[in-house]
Amino acid sequence: MGMFLLRLVATLLHIGLVFALAPLLMGLVTKLRARLLGRRGPPVVQPYRNLRRLLHKTTLVPDTATDLYPIWPFVCFTATAGAAMLVPGFSLGLLTANVGDFITLIGLFALARGATMLAGMESGFGFGGAAAAREALFSVFAEAALLVILISFVLIAHSPTVDGVAAAFRNGQLGISVSLGFALAAMLAVALTETGRIPADNPAGHLELAMVHEAMLLEYSGRFLLLFEYAAMLRLMVWMCLIGTVFFPFGMARAGEILTWPGGLVLWAGKLGAMAVVLSLFEIGTAKMRVFRVPEFLGVAVLLGVLAGVFLFVAARIGG
Amino acid sequence: MRLPARRLVCYGLVVGNSFALMFGLPGQGMHLRLDALSVLFLCILVPQIVASALAERRGSIAFWVFAGAMVLTLLAGDAFTLIFGFELMSAASWLLVLRGDARPATLYAGMAMFSAACLIPAVFLPASSLAFMLVLLGAGAKAGLAPLHFWLPRAHPAPPAGVSALMSGGMVKVSLYILIRYGFIEFGAAAQPWWGSVLIVAGAASVLIGALRAMLEVELKTMLACSTVEHVGLIAVGLGIALRAKAMGNLDLASLALQGALLCAVAHGLFKPMLFLGAGAVKKATGTTSLDWLGGLMRGMPRLGLLMLAGAAGMAALPLGPGFAPEFLLLHAVIKAAATGGILARIGFTALLAGLGLSAALALGAVVRLIGIGFLGRPRSLHAAAAGDANRATLAGMGFLAALCVPVALLPGVVLGMMEPVIQLLAPNSAPAPLSYAPLSLFLLLAAAAAAAFFGLRRFAVRGTREVPAWTCGFGSPPAWLPFGDPLTQPSATGFAEPVRRAIARGVLAPQGVDPAEAYLLFPLSQVSLRLTRVAEHIRRSTIRQRLAFVFVALVMFLLALGLSEGG
Repeated sequence: MGMFLLRLVATLLHIGLVFALAPLLMGLVTKLRARLLGRRGPPVVQPYRNLRRLLHKTTLVPDTATDLYPIWPFVCFTATAGAAMLVPGFSLGLLTANVGDFITLIGLFALARGATMLAGMESGFGFGGAAAAREALFSVFAEAALLVILISFVLIAHSPTVDGVAAAFRNGQLGISVSLGFALAAMLAVALTETGRIPADNPAGHLELAMVHEAMLLEYSGRFLLLFEYAAMLRLMVWMCLIGTVFFPFGMARAGEILTWPGGLVLWAGKLGAMAVVLSLFEIGTAKMRVFRVPEFLGVAVLLGVLAGVFLFVAARIGG
Repeated sequence: MRLPARRLVCYGLVVGNSFALMFGLPGQGMHLRLDALSVLFLCILVPQIVASALAERRGSIAFWVFAGAMVLTLLAGDAFTLIFGFELMSAASWLLVLRGDARPATLYAGMAMFSAACLIPAVFLPASSLAFMLVLLGAGAKAGLAPLHFWLPRAHPAPPAGVSALMSGGMVKVSLYILIRYGFIEFGAAAQPWWGSVLIVAGAASVLIGALRAMLEVELKTMLACSTVEHVGLIAVGLGIALRAKAMGNLDLASLALQGALLCAVAHGLFKPMLFLGAGAVKKATGTTSLDWLGGLMRGMPRLGLLMLAGAAGMAALPLGPGFAPEFLLLHAVIKAAATGGILARIGFTALLAGLGLSAALALGAVVRLIGIGFLGRPRSLHAAAAGDANRATLAGMGFLAALCVPVALLPGVVLGMMEPVIQLLAPNSAPAPLSYAPLSLFLLLAAAAAAAFFGLRRFAVRGTREVPAWTCGFGSPPAWLPFGDPLTQPSATGFAEPVRRAIARGVLAPQGVDPAEAYLLFPLSQVSLRLTRVAEHIRRSTIRQRLAFVFVALVMFLLALGLSEGG
């Protein structure tokens, strides 16, 4: 019983931290990127202010929208929030561990993406539709790459859940595996596309024709836009947590042992900070790709995922 | 299944666990029999028949013959009854296709004859690889497995919606039933692992081509038919993995894959007829099913739109929809299968997983296109603008199927538990692992998040909304004579598919976006047939001298052959 209560507290702490810190993470990345480009940049807490401002704005609904217009922001937010609750952050063994199957997670990402695409087509104007079509194209390769990486995870860890994979990677004497290296590279490419970062999309872009994620939300305002923006921040958080948990699970706390929590929390914050630095460094070093180059970029990710599997099979063959 | 003819045929006599009828082959009669597998497929079939009859086709004799023939096929207790029901089903559905559209009817009749020519010898052959290949060709052609799927996107949309629904949801399942019955039970003792591999390859090709074409097609019903090809492929992949694993002695994997395949059949049998009935209602309300002429239907047809949305969520295999649990099981089966067998098979399964991921995202794209272009946005024609909601019968039929989707979506574990006897029949002594996808917990989590967002916004945000002209990045409002704006400024169905066409379809499909099976199989075959016809025509038109020469040469050859054989 005490164990269950501890796990419950850890789960609630995880959910609270993820939801509270997601805007901060976004602000941190923006700030770091601006500083690296030699600008002062907005304050780190700017995303919180943006959300607060949206709370106080009137919500405008275009006259060409249908009755489903308010549904999509809720679906998008709910699916992303669900993913945020399923991916462990500072600790393993949360109550949500058994639900957090990789394929469920991929399904939730797809649900959020579908809702955003439909939001883009809601008012029936060109920019939203074009952006949704591009998003559909990117998602085709991103989903294939994610599923292929999954094969290496499951074969190494013998568990299909994020929690189980992380636990196996933390405990096992895996050493540095070529397969996992390839899988990491593929996962990073997918993460950049899914979170709408450079090189697939520019979160700070202002040209409607070149936007993907933002162009689908052009007709949204007020509290509905708030949900979409918050979902985007959560998505960045989820992907960083996912990569941190799966590939760098060292030092993660155990939900049942309260003494391991402080170390886990500190390490988690450190991992997120490090990933924010790496992301902003990568973003200033890369240019945004043309739309039809992105499938090639993600095609490489699929191939890397397949190669990760192949190396694993060959290693199993040689190792007996 | 083939019972000995030792019993006299007499009406109503129960022989063993089968039920003999008074008519049929002389001395053998016809037998009906129920076992777990036929009960499962009857459970898949009956709701569709009810929904289709409820929605529209109540008075048509051909429709009831079609439906009855499908039931007869599932109940068949001997090979003759099975073939009789199957051919009756083909003939009745051909008549229904012919009434809808004469053009694909010829192709459909040709395919039906081909599948009959494969099936009839196969069911009377002893269990062997040849017999299984014939069953696979015959039943696969009827189910729409690549490369023999090219007729399906042409023939399924042709008849009225109720029949299309039953063809897509029911007829392909009956074909798959025959495949399962013969692959797992009748020929089960002679099964080879490579039978499963063939099935997996055919299924994977169907999945990829079906999903891609569903993304590209502009006609609503054709698009749904292409999606049927995809789902048949998914079921075939599951069956193939199960067949291969069973032949290799890995019963747990076999039962996992079977669970995925059968649950996929159940789910597809619910949401696809629903979507077809909806497409029929759209056709009735607007006079067209071309997505490029629809748009904004959600305003005029809100209830139909919501039902279509529910069916579409199943088609895209989104979580908490009816299509997700089968997809989940199938993907896990593929991952598990990648841990077995030789290295080439493992690499093949990895590639298969990539293909399934690709197709899942394509299916989502196709669904977004269907809902986003057809039901959201602005109308693209006056017909679409003036559409009224579907009649109550159609809504009742679709609502019935949607209600049945709920347990499949939220309680797949219970449905799988009810399927347990079927799994035990097909893969005896297997102990399938419990389903690790927990939709109820997930539903509670998501409901909590949604409720938090809703009440949070109610409490803290400015309430209410204000309707304004759409912003569209500052473009001017449309002129007064175009109340919904110029349709050309909206994204079109063709345009929405363009990025995918450019990036993927060019590599997978034949030039000009033609289905590869059509370009590389049907077209060469029709060329050969044309050439042979010309030769025959040439012979028919020969002069009297040429004919006499033929006869003379034939006589000489005959005598020569006779003489040589006598002499030898």
